[in-house]
Amino acid sequence: MSIDRYRRQTLVEELGQKGQELLAKKHAIVIGAGGLGSNSANLLVRMGIGNIDIIDDDIVDITNLHRTSVFSEHDIGKSKALIVQEKLQPVNTMVHVKGINQKVTSENIDSLVRHADVIIDGTDNIPLRLLINKVSIQYKTPWVYAGVYGTVGMVMGILPKKTPCFQCITQDTLDLSAHEIPVLGSLPATIAAIQSNETIKVLLGRQPSGLIIYDVWNQCFDTLDIKRNPNCPMCGKKNKMN
Amino acid sequence: MKRTNSMKITVRLFGRYKDIAGKEKIHLDITDGNTLRDVVDVFVRQYPMVAIDKSRMMITKNKMYASFETTITEEDEITLSPPVVSGG
Repeated sequence: MSIDRYRRQTLVEELGQKGQELLAKKHAIVIGAGGLGSNSANLLVRMGIGNIDIIDDDIVDITNLHRTSVFSEHDIGKSKALIVQEKLQPVNTMVHVKGINQKVTSENIDSLVRHADVIIDGTDNIPLRLLINKVSIQYKTPWVYAGVYGTVGMVMGILPKKTPCFQCITQDTLDLSAHEIPVLGSLPATIAAIQSNETIKVLLGRQPSGLIIYDVWNQCFDTLDIKRNPNCPMCGKKNKMN
Repeated sequence: MKRTNSMKITVRLFGRYKDIAGKEKIHLDITDGNTLRDVVDVFVRQYPMVAIDKSRMMITKNKMYASFETTITEEDEITLSPPVVSGG
């Protein structure tokens, strides 16, 4: 392992050389390569997660450019996942970056995430997050939810059966994905950075705690302390999967 | 069945609600009813700027996600947060 590349990061007491070597053995799956997913993938590649898959069947659109740091005008019309691979692999050849130009569905999600050590949420809708939540519980794979709206972002690391699952906090949540969601350009990068922090902590064995809420406009940074719901239809005792 | 005697409920606010109210903790007088819906109704009446979130507000009771129909007492620890966001 090149000592220089991660030298400043391994100086971080909470990580150290041992933590860095552990990250190099990990496999992260990023589902969605938009504002959140592309920014998170960018950070995770630089921080040295050994294997990173980025899955998205969408193409780069001009309306994506205000909130991503990976795409440029030259990429418009091309596969987001493949562009992320093309742009990020040269950033760090010590890790393996794989773009998968595919739609994640209930039929293929098992095969896509089965070997993941962590799943990174870069999606833009509730149903797909609920699907990720389901397989996360099924395979006991941690995942890190992140979402944005306007000037508000939220992040929550989820350790199946140990911390609240996504269903525990979204029972009455409406899916707004059919609408064009307003997003301040700098917000996804900010939230992706928090999501990446939570990802690293999860991979190094630290238990996530609560729902992080960041409101840029009102300068509020909060953590909502929330417990697992014993009656949760997904991670609660009534679900036969448990 | 709704209770008619009034309750003083302490509510901890998160995100922009804190900014709108100008404080982290507020006390609401619930004069009609004993559910979280009644709490939200009073909160929205007091701070009309949050009305846009009314049907989707994230509520916890004693650190657990709770629905609008959940009943409460003065001793319960209630939090109100903006709805979970889903954009990417």
